Amino acid sequence: MNARPSGRSLRARRPAWLASLAALLALACAPALSAQVVADRWGPNPPASAEGHRVDTLFWLITTMISASFVIVLLLLLIPVLRDRARPGHRASYDHGSSLHDKRFTAIVSVIVFIVLDASVLYITMRDLREVVWNIPRPGGNTYQVEVLAQQWAWNFRVPGPDGRFGTSDDIVTINALTLPVDRPAVFNLASKDVIHSFYVPDMRVKRDANPGAINQVWFQPAVTGNYDILCAELCGYAHYQMHGTLAVLPQAEFEAWQQEAGALALAAWDGNDSEANWAWEWKENTP
Amino acid sequence: MSQIALPLPSEGRRARVDSTLGMALFIGSWSMAFATLFLTFLILRQRQPVWPPQGVVLPSLPLAGLATGVLLASSVLLHGAVARLRAGRPGFASRWAAGLVAGLLFAGLQSWLWIDVWSAGGRPDTDMYQGLFYMLTWFHALHVVCGLLALGVIQAGALSGRIHAGRATPASSVAIFWHFVDAVWLVLFFSFFAL
Amino acid sequence: MSGDHIHAEPTGFLRKHVFSVDHKVIAKQFMWFGLVWLLIGGVMAMMIRWQLANPGTPVPLLGKLLYPRGDGSVPPDGYNTLFTMHGTIMIFLGLTPLLIGCFGNFCIPLMIGARDMIFPLLNMLSFWTVVLGGLVGFYSLFVPLGAAEGGWTAYPTLSGNIGTPGSGETLWAIAVFLIGASSIMGGINYITTIVRLRAPGMTWGRLPLTIWGLFFTAILNVLFLPVIGSAMILMVLDRSFGTSFYVPATLNQTGGGDPILYQHLFWIFGHPEVYILILPAWGIISDLLSFFARKPAFAYRVTVGAMAAVTILSAVVYGHHMFTTGMTAMLGESFMLLTMIISVPGEILFFNWLHTLWRGNLRFTTPMLFSMGVIFVFGLGGLTGIYLATIGTDIYLHDTYFVVGHFHLTMAASSLFGAFAGTYFWFPKLFGRMMSEKLGKLHFWTTIIPLTIVFCTMFISGYAGMPRRYYNHTDLPFLRSIQHLNVITSVAAFFLGGAQLIFAFNFIRSRWWGAKAGVNPWQVGTLEWTTPSPPPHHNFDTIPTVVTGPHEYSHPALKDRDWLPQTENLPVA
Repeated sequence: MNARPSGRSLRARRPAWLASLAALLALACAPALSAQVVADRWGPNPPASAEGHRVDTLFWLITTMISASFVIVLLLLLIPVLRDRARPGHRASYDHGSSLHDKRFTAIVSVIVFIVLDASVLYITMRDLREVVWNIPRPGGNTYQVEVLAQQWAWNFRVPGPDGRFGTSDDIVTINALTLPVDRPAVFNLASKDVIHSFYVPDMRVKRDANPGAINQVWFQPAVTGNYDILCAELCGYAHYQMHGTLAVLPQAEFEAWQQEAGALALAAWDGNDSEANWAWEWKENTP
Repeated sequence: MSQIALPLPSEGRRARVDSTLGMALFIGSWSMAFATLFLTFLILRQRQPVWPPQGVVLPSLPLAGLATGVLLASSVLLHGAVARLRAGRPGFASRWAAGLVAGLLFAGLQSWLWIDVWSAGGRPDTDMYQGLFYMLTWFHALHVVCGLLALGVIQAGALSGRIHAGRATPASSVAIFWHFVDAVWLVLFFSFFAL
Repeated sequence: MSGDHIHAEPTGFLRKHVFSVDHKVIAKQFMWFGLVWLLIGGVMAMMIRWQLANPGTPVPLLGKLLYPRGDGSVPPDGYNTLFTMHGTIMIFLGLTPLLIGCFGNFCIPLMIGARDMIFPLLNMLSFWTVVLGGLVGFYSLFVPLGAAEGGWTAYPTLSGNIGTPGSGETLWAIAVFLIGASSIMGGINYITTIVRLRAPGMTWGRLPLTIWGLFFTAILNVLFLPVIGSAMILMVLDRSFGTSFYVPATLNQTGGGDPILYQHLFWIFGHPEVYILILPAWGIISDLLSFFARKPAFAYRVTVGAMAAVTILSAVVYGHHMFTTGMTAMLGESFMLLTMIISVPGEILFFNWLHTLWRGNLRFTTPMLFSMGVIFVFGLGGLTGIYLATIGTDIYLHDTYFVVGHFHLTMAASSLFGAFAGTYFWFPKLFGRMMSEKLGKLHFWTTIIPLTIVFCTMFISGYAGMPRRYYNHTDLPFLRSIQHLNVITSVAAFFLGGAQLIFAFNFIRSRWWGAKAGVNPWQVGTLEWTTPSPPPHHNFDTIPTVVTGPHEYSHPALKDRDWLPQTENLPVA
């Protein structure tokens, strides 16, 4: 038989429990608030893509919940430290925790924790995945297609010219500089020439690996004009840290002007015999 | 306790369970290794549009078939030897030797198989087929070599009297390992010649 | 019965101290081996932090020695080698020998009431195989084209001939293979010993939780090390024999391999590996929290069940390391769901630990402090895992410092704290002397405070978008603006490194000059505390008969003391 700590019943101690719970929740908000301070000072720039805010919302939901959880854990750690330290005349309560009551309590708490911490997050992220991440726009219409060939240690970008096909003489090919129109979904085919790289645009909240021998798809819709960083997020050799590009998001009129100029230059510079420069592939769709 | 007197039956049985558990874990572990390599084989094979690929040097089916038969025979011989030993009947050393010789014959036939492919221009870097073939057979061969060494150690033990009816567990453990090597070969053979 | 007759002690220096089959000697060999490699790996970490805080500056003391061709600063490829070898060394040559090799070997026979491991020769082989692996790894540091540089994860095609020519990476793969073989041998030994050599009365329900943790670790070792062994075989064949298992058809003439295949094989091993490293620590602290709270371990069977659940699920969550590789939606979502599910048994363990402390009679010894430290660091690290299990946030955080902070807290800090707790706790039984409590407490506080700063700062850096495995963060303006986070992390890391010298000093001094320990200095009931400190060669004069569980503390009917050895019956209330 397990000895139980004596004292008043749970019901009689209800006001104390409620007060403690209220204090706990108030205290638990503290890390979430300080996390806001952290985010303001050190956080990434506000998302510059149409759906990037979903990542931030999810981030904040998780931060709030785990901050509260951690405060609770710390308190449950601190109370015994202060109250139950060994001293003369003090004895531990003998409790194996193997009673049915204890097992039920554990089960209930586990289910609550799973529902609060995990199920909520799962629901929201599944919705985001289905609505945005897996939901890659088809070619045609407003969609802007880009083929990205990563190499040690640069980013090659190719957009189809007016003919809409990849691998023809009017393709615009740039290295480390990507220009996109604002408010149009941009879909990327990612591949690599040599080792695995990863196409990472923090401000747009996207990342996807560029693998040799396979093509990955990723998309986002730039929503704010400006210049953004493109980083490599998969170790690719000793210059991995130097492999970055710039993304320029232009308003409609400026983008069209850029397209005209770049297109003319591309046509003029095209050399049919330069196999290395003509690295295009037929657009590949992989529905994830 | 003198070497010739039999230990108590309970001790023998206990030691047998200990060794069997150890062997089961060892074989379970090594099965995971072979399973990983076979999984690799299946995945990469399934990616190839044509199998076997055009113009590849194929290992000789009759030779491989003969080797398989010899390996099976060696397992049967070893199994029989161990059964005789546990039953206390004589003839362990000679039957074990027969199994060992069959094992050596298998190793010889396996080498012939390699030489056959190698001299026809089949190298690990020639083709995915060749790469997978050498990978699987070399890894298997490593276990054949270790197995043959273990068979040799038991043979020496049989001849010197250290392996006897009351101390049969080392022999049966080694035999179990050899059966495992045999089983892996069967899967290998089937995968390359039947799939 | 087997193991009951007492063998004579070996004579001669080599048989006694070098090629010994005595589990206690082998345990100490693993301990020294692991501690030396932890030091080497730790120095590498300090060098990494130096470079990140002071890019391009010569490394003090070691720079000129290690990088004679330059000005003594870490070069970019040298930096890649540093984090590759730091990870490999800490996991395979530091933590594994210390936590699993040492404590597994030392504690299992003694705690279950046996005279030795069931396969003593295999045990000795296991140690010398890891030594061989370490030698190969050490040798690889000095080859002409440099040591491995592909990260401890070594993804092809970077780790193939395309990305990393030379023998360094090949030798690395061979070293990992050998170390894996050593752990498999150990795992076979541990499982068979625990199953077969438990003393009479030592039922599965009376095993200390330390043994349960080691048991599950051994099962994972036996099952999943062969997978990475095979992955390494394929890598060596690719590198040295021209095969193309990991080289796609676009990059070679001979047929379509797949670099992503490696990632699957690696992480099928790699995720169980992190549980391999944490399960012994979980087991140890589950016991120590009970011992030093003078209270039974709360819900013993539930704890065992939670560890078993984690063990079973460990292989099916591995895809959460690969969310950005372009896997299908169904696969990604399945891995995400399973990863969330595997957190539940972990939470239950937490619940049980906290409940063990609740209304205990807490003795704040150094082992207790480190055990409570595990609750703290694993709580922090484990909770941040939710960001990484969720695909939406993982896409942003993958390959940033957020991940580095997460796995160091859960894998490195928690396992290391478990190892420290075990070291302080079993030191008297290993060496017959006590470690200094004062220095132990100092070690604890000077470790946990900087450690929290180091890895929590990484959460901030990662959230800001700072990628990992970058030689230099001052190239890009946005990274330059948070460079001070690197400086804070590095300064705290230097304090953290320095604090370990307290442990080293304490360990060495106590080993030869510490206060002599009695049979049972901690007043704990498990079987190893019934034999002298250190135990004689044969462990127990007579094999004990067990009649109670390992956590009988503060039973109300015990009047004069608050603990009960496992060989004594509970008093009639």
